[in-house]
Amino acid sequence: MKNQKPYPPQLPLRFFRWYCNPRLQDYIEGDLTEVYERRAKNGKLKADVLFSIDVLLLCRPGIIGRRKNNYSTNSIDMFRNNFKIALRNLWKNKPSTVINVLGLTTGITACLLIALFIQHELSFDKFQSNRKRIARVVMEYGFEGSTETHKGTFTSTKVAPVLSRTFPEVEKGVRMTDADAILYLNNEPVTEPNFMYADSSFFNTFDYEMLQGNASVALNGPKKIVLTESMAAKYFGSENVIGKTLEVGTNKTPFEVTGVIKDYPKNSQLQFDFLASFSSMGQNQEKTYFNANYTTYLLLSDELAFAPLLEKLDPFMEKEMAGTGATIRFHLEKFNEVHLYSPYTAFASNTSITYLLLLGGVALLIIIIVCSTYVNLSTAKSIERAKEVGVRKVSGAARNQLFWQFIGEAFVVCCLSVLVSFCAAALLLPQFNSFVSRNFLVTDLLSPSFLLITFCITILISLAAGSYPALILSGMQPARILKGLFKNSSSARRLQQSLVVFQFSITVFLIVCTVIIRNQLNYIQNRNLGYDRTHVLTMFIGWGTDSKQVETFKSELKKHTQIKEVSRCASTPVSINGGYSMRLPSMPETEVIGVFANPVDEGFVAASGLQLIAGEDFSEADMRGAEIQDEKLRRYQYILNESAARQLGFMPEEAIGRELILNSGGTIKGVVQDFNFQSVHNAIKPIVLFTAPWGGRMIIKISGDDIPGTIAYAEQQWKKFIPNRPFEYSFLDETYARMYKTENQLGKVMSLFAATAILLACMGLFGLSSYMMQQRMKEIGIRKVLGASFMNLISILSGNFIKLVIIAIVIACPLAYLIMQSWLSDFAYHTDMHWWIFMIAGLVIVSITLLTISIHGLRAMAENPVKSLRSE
Amino acid sequence: MKNYQLGEFEEIVLLTVGILNNEAYSVAIKDEIESRLTRTVSMGALHTALLRLEEKGYLKSFSGESTEDRAGRPRRYFEITALGKKAMLYAKETREQLWKAIPKAVLEYQLTIGN
Repeated sequence: MKNQKPYPPQLPLRFFRWYCNPRLQDYIEGDLTEVYERRAKNGKLKADVLFSIDVLLLCRPGIIGRRKNNYSTNSIDMFRNNFKIALRNLWKNKPSTVINVLGLTTGITACLLIALFIQHELSFDKFQSNRKRIARVVMEYGFEGSTETHKGTFTSTKVAPVLSRTFPEVEKGVRMTDADAILYLNNEPVTEPNFMYADSSFFNTFDYEMLQGNASVALNGPKKIVLTESMAAKYFGSENVIGKTLEVGTNKTPFEVTGVIKDYPKNSQLQFDFLASFSSMGQNQEKTYFNANYTTYLLLSDELAFAPLLEKLDPFMEKEMAGTGATIRFHLEKFNEVHLYSPYTAFASNTSITYLLLLGGVALLIIIIVCSTYVNLSTAKSIERAKEVGVRKVSGAARNQLFWQFIGEAFVVCCLSVLVSFCAAALLLPQFNSFVSRNFLVTDLLSPSFLLITFCITILISLAAGSYPALILSGMQPARILKGLFKNSSSARRLQQSLVVFQFSITVFLIVCTVIIRNQLNYIQNRNLGYDRTHVLTMFIGWGTDSKQVETFKSELKKHTQIKEVSRCASTPVSINGGYSMRLPSMPETEVIGVFANPVDEGFVAASGLQLIAGEDFSEADMRGAEIQDEKLRRYQYILNESAARQLGFMPEEAIGRELILNSGGTIKGVVQDFNFQSVHNAIKPIVLFTAPWGGRMIIKISGDDIPGTIAYAEQQWKKFIPNRPFEYSFLDETYARMYKTENQLGKVMSLFAATAILLACMGLFGLSSYMMQQRMKEIGIRKVLGASFMNLISILSGNFIKLVIIAIVIACPLAYLIMQSWLSDFAYHTDMHWWIFMIAGLVIVSITLLTISIHGLRAMAENPVKSLRSE
Repeated sequence: MKNYQLGEFEEIVLLTVGILNNEAYSVAIKDEIESRLTRTVSMGALHTALLRLEEKGYLKSFSGESTEDRAGRPRRYFEITALGKKAMLYAKETREQLWKAIPKAVLEYQLTIGN
């Protein structure tokens, strides 16, 4: 019957149902059907067409209706109600709220700071509009007959002009080099660390806003200089500085100021306060590709020019270097990738992308720990919420409504924590800044992009932390709950247990790593390096400073009672990197031994506390011998270390008096004990100390009784003898510590991270055990009545947790062992991983667990068992 | 003087609802207008007019029984409210006043031309 009836066309009908106001839909659809059926008697097709026309004509403002209108008030009410319930619940369960908020706050604060750092590092060089088509040139060179090559951002002055002449892809070439320069502020010498020389094409390639002067001509011609705004204020005050002169260097060369640029963002790979014209250096040569002391940037015609240019560069350079016995290849680095991806540092130190990923991983791990604490607590709590869920379900709540309600609760807790975290992050910012050596401001925390990141983190955490409890709670069966047949499901318990194991594994892992890293750092600090670095001052006196002047300075210094020894040398014993080659006269000329060497004077061995094991120290006469102008008469004296002697095939005593050719001929005068003249990452290598009067540094061994007085005396003498240099000094042990900056930072990060993890894990455990205790209140009461002691109770209550913690220890220790082994193997000299480190970590964790649980145990103990047993 | 707003089509609909008395629902109104005035009425125009009249308070509606020929959907019947009656009377009176004010000659002339 029904199928014989003509049925209106579906598409217009569906369209009608879609737009029509639901209040009117039934009536109008009835009308449409009635009219349609009447018309259909005269032909279905015509009726269909007329039906469609009717539907189209009905589509007008009075009839189109918004469906959601019907529900909107209701859902707002529900939202308000959910919010209220959430707040009441948080207020009711204060301990767990505090634990959750504290935990989340700790985690989110850490994440915020890490995110701030990562965002800053990713933003490097973004303000350069040409960044996509600027290339930094990396040179790789090697010599024929050897496969060894060296790579770096060093290039000679020839590269930029030749490449921009030869290749159409290269629009501009910019050569730069940075140096520290001595300037004079009120006639006092000041060392300015960020002094850079650059070609005049600099301002065509890079974006810097000129406040005064003309960018296109500012660096044309020698002895021109451009300052940043703040430096202009420092040296000249607020007046117009164009045309003023600035005296540069110890010989006070006048430079004409031709421009002032606006202070630029600090997240830049080019760091300079002063920009002098490249021609001022007088180094412009196109003879050789060697003598590579400069950095070259190329502005390419567009960002696609990298590959074609690279293809042409190799054949070109092969032709250029033909017959010279050396090979040079050029590589191009994209300017906007230098900061994160380049292993070569030119001006500002790079941050490796792996480091950022590592930090991101740390942040993620923290979030996971925090979320698992939340999950643990709220699944434990779910028994309390079960009744509510039951009633809600009976009153018609859909599962997804309940789900979003509990997610919403997590979101409320999260928002609360984010607010607290912002305050905490703002307070911790100064410490964080000194920690990562950046300069973040509180306003950076409030920038729109950062707020967006924070919002994303909040949503992510609410979803991650809230979804499991929400699933568990919303999935409960109302009939069973309301009958009172409710227990935590076994899957929830399993999840809780595995989360506890997970958290504690991380904690144990971090404790072990921290202890081992700390051990190694201690070992580095206290290791007998073979030289004495306490109470040793070093100063930079400048290369080739007149030796007579320095000699008098030295003898004046030695007059002070506190100054024990003074030496002029090229490098301090902390870090000696000068590479030389040596050979015995008996060896063929082509056979040489690579060796490190340090030009020193007669005071070096005594000032740095090296131990002579054979022969004797340099004397003043030896120094005179090395100072002779005539190369034929000049005699060098050498002191080797044991390794060098061994390499030459001598026992220490045998070496004394032998001839050795380093630069030119000389005699081995003594042998010292091996000492670490490089980072302990490297094994001790052969080294030769040789007599030379031109070292640029001075080391002064003082007694350490009156350090300020001694330094004041040294400064007073300095002013007399080296007046054109600022008096700057540092202590050798500080220099040594600075060499292990990365390791120290790692140590600090790990300690912090470990502390956070312990804190969070304990909080989680604390919350979890408190809920377990509440559930077992009756059992405890009965046990007490039957005469259980405190220890009995604790062992019963903690047994389960201890088991979990031991599993965690078993998982974490081998992992920590493997990872730390690979870290330690980077050091040539390292501590051993003693078994007791693992023991201690395990004991610490077990006792922390016991402590946490016994807090509840004590409370349960103190309570009168009548209380828990009376009510039923 | 109270201002009763009533458009031309609205007035026709209101009058037709009066004619149909208790049988006034949209399809019937449509048929009635179409047969009496020989003009086609689109469903959309009719429904909007009915809605507007209801909003103004000249009509009220009630749901009728659902019938087989409407695929089980109810009819929506309309009846005129007291306010609606006043509005109709007001419209009629104003027209009559205006009719009366027209000089006889104008009408006669018109009529003769028309004939």
